[in-house]
Amino acid sequence: MMRILAAALAIASGLIVLAGYFLPEFTMLDQLRFILTDWAIIIAGMAVLVGILNLVSVQMEKVRTKQKGGMYGALLVLSLVVTFGLGLVFGPGHSLMRAAVEAIIVPVEASLLAILAVTLVYASIRLLRRRADVMSVIFLVTVVLFLIAVMPTPFGPIPVLGQLILGITGMISSGGARGLLIGVALGTLLTGLRVLFGIDRPYGGK
Amino acid sequence: MVSIEVISAFIGLVLTLMVFSYLIGDNLLFRVAVYLFIGVASGYAAAVIVEDVLLAKFQSLPLNDPAQLLIGLIPFFLAATLLAKLSPRLSWMGNFAMAVLVGVGAATAVGGALAGTLIPQAQASMEALNSPSLFGLVEGGVMLTGTILTLVYFQFGAKRAADGSVRRNSIFEALAWLGRIIIAVTFGVLFAGVYMAALTAMIERLSSMFNFVRSVLGL
Repeated sequence: MMRILAAALAIASGLIVLAGYFLPEFTMLDQLRFILTDWAIIIAGMAVLVGILNLVSVQMEKVRTKQKGGMYGALLVLSLVVTFGLGLVFGPGHSLMRAAVEAIIVPVEASLLAILAVTLVYASIRLLRRRADVMSVIFLVTVVLFLIAVMPTPFGPIPVLGQLILGITGMISSGGARGLLIGVALGTLLTGLRVLFGIDRPYGGK
Repeated sequence: MVSIEVISAFIGLVLTLMVFSYLIGDNLLFRVAVYLFIGVASGYAAAVIVEDVLLAKFQSLPLNDPAQLLIGLIPFFLAATLLAKLSPRLSWMGNFAMAVLVGVGAATAVGGALAGTLIPQAQASMEALNSPSLFGLVEGGVMLTGTILTLVYFQFGAKRAADGSVRRNSIFEALAWLGRIIIAVTFGVLFAGVYMAALTAMIERLSSMFNFVRSVLGL
C-alpha cells in the first residue's frame, strides 16, 4: 500500500511539473510547478544534509571500532563540525568562512586538478601499452595534434598547420560531441519517462 | 601582526605540497589533505544549505495566512521524514519525500533534455547546412555526418543469423566503425581540453607557491 502511495505521489508530482513546463498558458499548472519545484529544493537540501550525517556516522563508526584509517575519519569529522559550527554562528558569507574556502577548499581542489596533468600523461602511456589498436592510436594522435596546435611555442603559433589541425579536429569533434549530447539527452528522456510511468521506482518501491 | 591573508596563503601552500606528494605515491600527507578538504567542504556545504535554503525558505513562510502556512510546512515535514532514512527499520518513512524529489527531478530532466538539448541540437545540425558559402556547407555536412555516425554507433538493434549468432546489419556495422573513429577523435579533443585545464591549474599552483615564497623573502 505504502509503495503504491509513494509511486502515485512520484507520478502525480512529475506529471504536474511536466504539464506546467509545456503548458505555461494554464496559470494553475504553472503555479503548481513552481510550488512543487520549491518543495523539491527543500527536500533536496535536506537529502544532502542526511548524506552528510551518514558520512559522519560512517567515519565515527570507523573511529569507534578502531578500523584502519580511523585517524583520517576523526580529522574529517572534526573539520566538518568546526566548519559547520562556524558557518552557523557567523554565516557562510563571513570573512572567516571565506578564508577557510581560500586556504583549504580552493588550494586542494586546484592541486588535485594539477596532479591530473601528470596522471593523464601516465594513463595515455598505459593505454598504448595495454591496448594498441586503431582507435587508441587515433585517440592519442588527435590529442597530440590538438595540443601541438593549441600550445604556445617559443616561436609563436604554428602558421598554417595549427589552423588546419584546429579546423579539421574541430569539425569532426563538433559532430561527435553533438551526437554524444543527443545520445545523453535521449537516455535522460527515456530514464525520466520510465520514472514518470512508474516502471522504475528509485524512491524505495519495487 | 600577521594578516589572515598571509596565514591563509601559508596553509594553501602547505596543503598544495601535501597534495603534490601524491606524485611519489599514496601517503599520509596526501590523505590528511584530502580528508581535511572533504570535511571542510562538507561542513561549508551543510552551512550554506541550512542558512541559504532551509532557514531562508522557512523565514519566508506566510505567518498571517493559516492555509498558505500549512501548505508551506508540507515540504519541511517531508524533509524531516528523510531523517528516518538513517535508520534501516524506519527508512520507509522517507520514501514519500524521495518520491516527490524523484518525480519532480524526472519531470525537470525530461523537460530539460527535450527543450535544452534535443530540439536545439537537432535545429543546429540542420541550420549548419543553410550556409551560403561552400566551406560552411562542407563544414555543416561533415558535422552532420559525424553526428549521424556517432548515433549509429550506439544503435545496438541486431538480428539472429541462421547459425544462431546475433549480428548487426553489415551496413550498420560499417557505419558504426566509422562512428567509433568520430568518437575517438571527439574524446581525443575533450581529453586534450581536460589536460590543458589541468596544466593551467598546475601552473597557477606553482606560480602562487613561488609568489608566496618571494613575498615572504621580500624579493
